[in-house]
Amino acid sequence: MSVEKRKICRFELLMDAGFGAQKAGDILIRALAGMGKYVYIEPMIPAEISPPPRTKPALSGVIIRVADFDITNIGNDTDLILASHEIVLDRRLDDEETNPNCRVLLDMGDKKDNEDSYEKILKRLTQMGISTFPFEMAPETQTIIQSLSGSGKNMYYLGMLSAIYNIPPEPVIKEIEKTFGKKLKDEAFNKNLKIFENGYKYAKDSIFFSYEITGTPRHTEKILIDGNSSISMGIIDAGIKLFSGYPITPASTIMHTLAKIFPSYGGLVHQAEDEIAAVGAAIGSYFGGVPAITATSGPGLSLKQEFIGFAAAAEIPLIVIDAQRAGPSTGMPTKTEQSDLPAALFGNHGDNTKVLLSVSNVIDCFYAPHMARYLTEKLKVPVIILSDFQTANSYKVIDKLKTLELNGNVDDLPDFVFERFHLNRLPDSIEMVRDNQSMPGTPDGMHRVTGLNTDREGHVNYFSQTNQRSHEVRNEKLHHVQRALKKPEIFGPEEGEVMVVGWGSTRGAIEEAMMNCQTLGIPASGMHFRIVYPLPLMIRDIFLKFKKVVTVEGAYGDEYKPSPLAMLLRSHTLVDVRPLISKATGRPIRPRVIMEKVKELILK
Amino acid sequence: MSVHLEHKESEPLTIKSLNTENPRWCVGCGDFGILMGLKRFMVDNQFIPHETVNVSGIGCSGRTPNYINTYGVHAIHGRPITVALGLALARSDLNIFIESGDGDALSIGGNHLIHGINKNFNCVFLLFDNELYALTKAQTSPTTRKGHPTYTQPRGTYLDPLNPIALVLGIGASFVASTTDWMPDHLASTMSAAFKHKGFSFVHISQRCPHYDAEAFDYKTTGWFSFLTHENGIPPDKRLADKTEVIVHDPMNLEMAFKYAASPRRHFGLFYCDPNKPCYDEILRWERDKAEKKPRSKLLDHFQI
Repeated sequence: MSVEKRKICRFELLMDAGFGAQKAGDILIRALAGMGKYVYIEPMIPAEISPPPRTKPALSGVIIRVADFDITNIGNDTDLILASHEIVLDRRLDDEETNPNCRVLLDMGDKKDNEDSYEKILKRLTQMGISTFPFEMAPETQTIIQSLSGSGKNMYYLGMLSAIYNIPPEPVIKEIEKTFGKKLKDEAFNKNLKIFENGYKYAKDSIFFSYEITGTPRHTEKILIDGNSSISMGIIDAGIKLFSGYPITPASTIMHTLAKIFPSYGGLVHQAEDEIAAVGAAIGSYFGGVPAITATSGPGLSLKQEFIGFAAAAEIPLIVIDAQRAGPSTGMPTKTEQSDLPAALFGNHGDNTKVLLSVSNVIDCFYAPHMARYLTEKLKVPVIILSDFQTANSYKVIDKLKTLELNGNVDDLPDFVFERFHLNRLPDSIEMVRDNQSMPGTPDGMHRVTGLNTDREGHVNYFSQTNQRSHEVRNEKLHHVQRALKKPEIFGPEEGEVMVVGWGSTRGAIEEAMMNCQTLGIPASGMHFRIVYPLPLMIRDIFLKFKKVVTVEGAYGDEYKPSPLAMLLRSHTLVDVRPLISKATGRPIRPRVIMEKVKELILK
Repeated sequence: MSVHLEHKESEPLTIKSLNTENPRWCVGCGDFGILMGLKRFMVDNQFIPHETVNVSGIGCSGRTPNYINTYGVHAIHGRPITVALGLALARSDLNIFIESGDGDALSIGGNHLIHGINKNFNCVFLLFDNELYALTKAQTSPTTRKGHPTYTQPRGTYLDPLNPIALVLGIGASFVASTTDWMPDHLASTMSAAFKHKGFSFVHISQRCPHYDAEAFDYKTTGWFSFLTHENGIPPDKRLADKTEVIVHDPMNLEMAFKYAASPRRHFGLFYCDPNKPCYDEILRWERDKAEKKPRSKLLDHFQI
């Protein structure tokens, strides 16, 4: 095996759903992370539980990006694909994310029964100029896999990838033990280990190339965490005591995680009968003074809207997480999109007053519940945290985060959390529609809240001036936020040809694209919002220093239809903001594509 | 609902101290009787108003919390149970009453009624059943009698009404009682029994709507209904006990409860009571309280590599 040294690599393992591709990927990145490397992993998950094997919908796998520096996103193109058969490979090639020098390792085990299909895909690879390395497991390995009723292939691939990426077997075996040690009987465990060793040995002996990630490892205290786990831990750390939810992809894993551990931290998990009941219970809890949260995805957000508007009118704090997926309707439950922005902002009937937070990575996920608590308890307006499939499911190695152990008083939140969200603290006193905001149990504080309009004493009131005042008071709460918003995160100089703006999960791709642009002398800068609504006051002035302002969004837009962020920015700044990328493909936006589009735009 | 009563240190609770503003209901509305019954009951038991929360949905019944000086949430249409459950999970120290109507509970909020009953969380649930939508002006509701004309079914309501008592018995309600707005004594006894029961206490209240359907209940006569009573049940209304049939019915007898519920004759009293049905809110809290406590400072240790 020759060794090619790389600063950064991206590779994929593709298999049929249910055969452990994600598990193998997980073990591999834990081993890599243990060696001091930075990794970012994006699982590819079908929406169904067990789609028929050897079909395109069965594609399940992982994309792994590994580097000797901190990486912010899943990157551009894949250098190496290991596929368990030709069908999943064919399906994945359709996404057009391979590097021209991509190498494909294709398991030929299924070929004898599928000659034509293999020939077709091999021809496709040749046409694409991709070098293919066919391989087949030795009869000995196949016999072991048969004895495990067909499982264990993933261990073979794990062995191969470990050899190809120059990871010594010991740390990988240690991670295999951690993963399977307790679950498998000795015999089955040893068989899996044997398969791993066979794969490792095969690659060492028979594959001529291998990669080494360069750089000196940084051995700080690190964690490996995905977005939904991080937000779950954030919920606990933020002092929230009730989670109520209803099963929906991709939000469900937040409920799963909390169901396991929340009681140990004094919390309750309530699985409600529907999405509406879930948000209703969160509102009930917060009315009782106990911080609560609910999490959902697009279809559930639509169902919750009436209660979100109610919380604003009744001035009861409310936090809703929306892990966005591709819509409209049921759409693509396991694909990413950012198109819930308008629904989150304008979804309830009547005037809308709410704050939209977004998360761009696992660190934001951890601190978003804290920020949401601060905002909703100070303002008594609903706060929606917008995540998405990509952020919810991607894993990343990061330096261990500082826990804050927030309790009753949200003013205890440290400054660095405000800095993360580019926000100053709000004024101490904020006017409410109703003067009496006592919590049940407070003697002589009895009062009623309602979705009807009331005067400041809390009496139902339909007078014109009273209703107008209620609107003014609710909107002034949002204006407080707007005035407290600092300059958003900017990548590059504050003037130039092109300003590329995004929010939420596109941050990593925009940052990387802008760094590359600036290295190449392309006069482009980037801007990213963690708080998407309200927007900071000064952004118009910044926009005016650029010839063109464009957005990068995982949401549909075209010549006649501005994409959601572009629409919002246009109305907020009266600047002619247009979408640069407004794709709803279900795939993350890639830094290289942003850079190419910026170049095209400048040459235009 | 279980009992959270303590003697108030300051001045005693009175009807006057429970008043807020004049209710905006029509003259002769049965809701006045229910509101007065609720206040009377709270005064008789010297409730602590700041430890009591009334939660309601939308409709005439939904206005009730606004007219009673406790804490209150006038929520959205059909969903008061969801808010009340969140509150019950958060605050076991509060007395929770839910006011809902036949449209609110049996139509738009039917799903929540099923699951509130199944979860059996601690509250008193009052179903104000006037057998039509009133606040939206006389539309057919799930309990409107067949043939009765409304604005939405002007040639007469098409279907037989849904039977709320049989429905909730079928779902497995742990406490099912029925009373009326015009029998103050029976109403108060029913509320008292409902409050003493731990779990979701379902109280059906036949409620007059003189404005849209004055004929729904012949409240001046007694021949059309019977009282169900028992030593573990609810005594018949004092004023009317000798004017109609009084049946001794053991509230543990589910089979007979179904029989009375299915009968074309109305029955007022305690149909069923199972004091041993587990309560979801208690289970969740119990699980939390027995869990081995962990410090949040070590929250992320599990993810360390």
